[in-house]
Amino acid sequence: MSPDQPTPPANPPAPRPAPAKPPKSIQQQQVDETKVWNLWFTRREFLTLAAWGGFFLWLGGTIGAALRYFLPNVTYDPPTRFKIGRPEDYASGEVNTRFKKKYRIWVVRDTPAQGGGLYVIYARCTHLGCTPNWLSGQNKFKCPCHGSGFRWGGINFEGPAPRPLERCRVALADDGQIITDVGDRFKDPKDWHRPDAYLKV
Amino acid sequence: MADAPKPMKFEERLAPVARAIRTSQIWKSIFRHGYQDTPRNRSLMILSNVFFHIHAVKVRPAALPFRYTWRMGELSFYLFLVLTVTGILLMFYYRPTVEHAYWDMKDLAYVVPFGRLLRNMHRWSAHVMVLFVMFHMISVFYRSAYKPPREYNWVIGVILLLITFLLSFTGYLLPWDQLAIWAVTVGTNMAANTPILGSEGPLAIVGPDMDARFVLLGSKIVGQAGLLRFYVLHCVLLPVAFLMFIAVHFWRIRKDDFSAVPVPPKEERAKGVQPEEWHKQHPEVLQEKVFTWPHLVSRQFVSAVVLTMVLVGWSLLANAPLEELANPNLTPNPSKAPWYFVGLQELLVYFDPWIAGVVFPTLIIMGLMAIPYVDPNPRGVGYYNFRERRFAVSMFTVGVVLWFGLIFIGYYMRGPGWELYMPWEAWNHHRPPSSTAGLRNTPNWFGFLLLAGYGALGMGLPKLLFKDFYKKLGPVRYGVVMFFVLAMFFVPVKVILRNFFDIKYLISLPAWSLNI
Repeated sequence: MSPDQPTPPANPPAPRPAPAKPPKSIQQQQVDETKVWNLWFTRREFLTLAAWGGFFLWLGGTIGAALRYFLPNVTYDPPTRFKIGRPEDYASGEVNTRFKKKYRIWVVRDTPAQGGGLYVIYARCTHLGCTPNWLSGQNKFKCPCHGSGFRWGGINFEGPAPRPLERCRVALADDGQIITDVGDRFKDPKDWHRPDAYLKV
Repeated sequence: MADAPKPMKFEERLAPVARAIRTSQIWKSIFRHGYQDTPRNRSLMILSNVFFHIHAVKVRPAALPFRYTWRMGELSFYLFLVLTVTGILLMFYYRPTVEHAYWDMKDLAYVVPFGRLLRNMHRWSAHVMVLFVMFHMISVFYRSAYKPPREYNWVIGVILLLITFLLSFTGYLLPWDQLAIWAVTVGTNMAANTPILGSEGPLAIVGPDMDARFVLLGSKIVGQAGLLRFYVLHCVLLPVAFLMFIAVHFWRIRKDDFSAVPVPPKEERAKGVQPEEWHKQHPEVLQEKVFTWPHLVSRQFVSAVVLTMVLVGWSLLANAPLEELANPNLTPNPSKAPWYFVGLQELLVYFDPWIAGVVFPTLIIMGLMAIPYVDPNPRGVGYYNFRERRFAVSMFTVGVVLWFGLIFIGYYMRGPGWELYMPWEAWNHHRPPSSTAGLRNTPNWFGFLLLAGYGALGMGLPKLLFKDFYKKLGPVRYGVVMFFVLAMFFVPVKVILRNFFDIKYLISLPAWSLNI
């Protein structure tokens, strides 16, 4: 083909003419054999496909390995479980700010009328992540960033916050102290009735 | 598409779909020209591809066979790319601080998926690259592919060799294990022995807080400052320098036309016809060329694939070494430099550090760079030839054998206390050290006379015995060539003097730290 003429698009190979009456030449025998096996491809095509297929398998595997490489099996993040004193240390009907600076939590103990449970609220506004403040005079949590407001217990009622404040998993340790895990939190108020979301005191 | 003996049902159904895709605007905007195998497309695959257009569109068939270049140059560059990719991936987990470096290496081996494989690949590729650039230089020399007009490209190549050594050396420190810290201690102590600019070399004018070693390490000890400097050198400065010189190197190869030339057929060679004469008789053979795509590119692809398979296989089976955490208070015995420097470390038995660690490496680099300029023999370009360049090939071969021989001895035959051990002998840390009681220095006047005699005879005798040789080179080139040859042979001379005559120094001036 001349290098300067545009090449015509490829046409499918011309159909092989029907074999004539057999003088049974070698070519005829070869054709007959392929008919017997009824293959879709020649040996060359098969090997080419296998080689390229192998290459792309390897390439896919390598890309997969490279992606998996970015997910280490161990991270060295700081610990998330803390002991926060005994249930007796917390007065009934109070939002305790003792560990707000250290662990970013409020420890809340309901009055007997409210149910008397003790639970831990994570001090992170559900709007964009700032740390709200407990305003005991106004009986609400108020976020300074955009004004989100949360009732006692953490339900959002004013401002841009879309969801209530999250609660952390609590349990009683062997020595009688409350142990809480700030890495394991309950978002949905439906989950707040689970036995590991609050302590009966 | 190959022609099938009979129509394939798949292809019949696929053809209109394929055609529609290939004539779409999106496809044509990316791939531009077609894939049909025409001469025009073979040219375009090279010309219109930003990566491939380093190649010429056509090459002489003599350039294709493996035995011409052994593919060493291109595989060295390919290894550089492998090292860059694996290195960047390793950078996601490695922190170059004294507190974290070693433990991040452990993380890579045990915590990060495929981290062990990646680190091994990085380490083994580095060793192979150092080896391959040495082989590349050797092959270029034997093919005379440094002769005019290619002299400057050879010099660029020597610079690239140096950068490769430095890349490997700076990377060697980063694991921060015992192997790393002490190998770099040995290497940087050589820098402290630089004459004048090193605090422990002869004629020192600076103290240890300002000398060449301090510049390298940023400190008087191998510590955090050195680790950070080596990290930046290894990951940024040296790769950038390498790429700049590689760009010039490749540019020059294209500008000077790849060196391979066809050799005459066997019958002509048997009659003694040399390639240069044959080319004059048959000038058309120099014009015969074949398309780079597919002929050269396919061979390069296969060599790259084979090398990658070997690398991955080796990295799966053999772990790169990681000894205990670096301990500046505990020196392992023996403490060896990386294998490519251990030949110089072996020289320390026979020479002071300023000679073994500074003068000889400098002479080697300068001597290599000088080769194209002191070799006036225009024969042999583009093919392997010994008969018409006996002196050059012999001297170079002596140098290569000496270099690898010293590496072999330093790596396999030196044990605790740098004592001589046969490679099969177990190391015995309680073996009494070999006695140096019998070693003596020659009186300075005698040593000076000996050296002067060696120099004078070395300069004068070949001039008298081989007048043709001197005439061809001229006085300047002759002087330069003999200087480097004499310097090279001084090594076996010193080995013999020490081992057979118990002579340590020929000249000894301890007040100036100058001993030869």
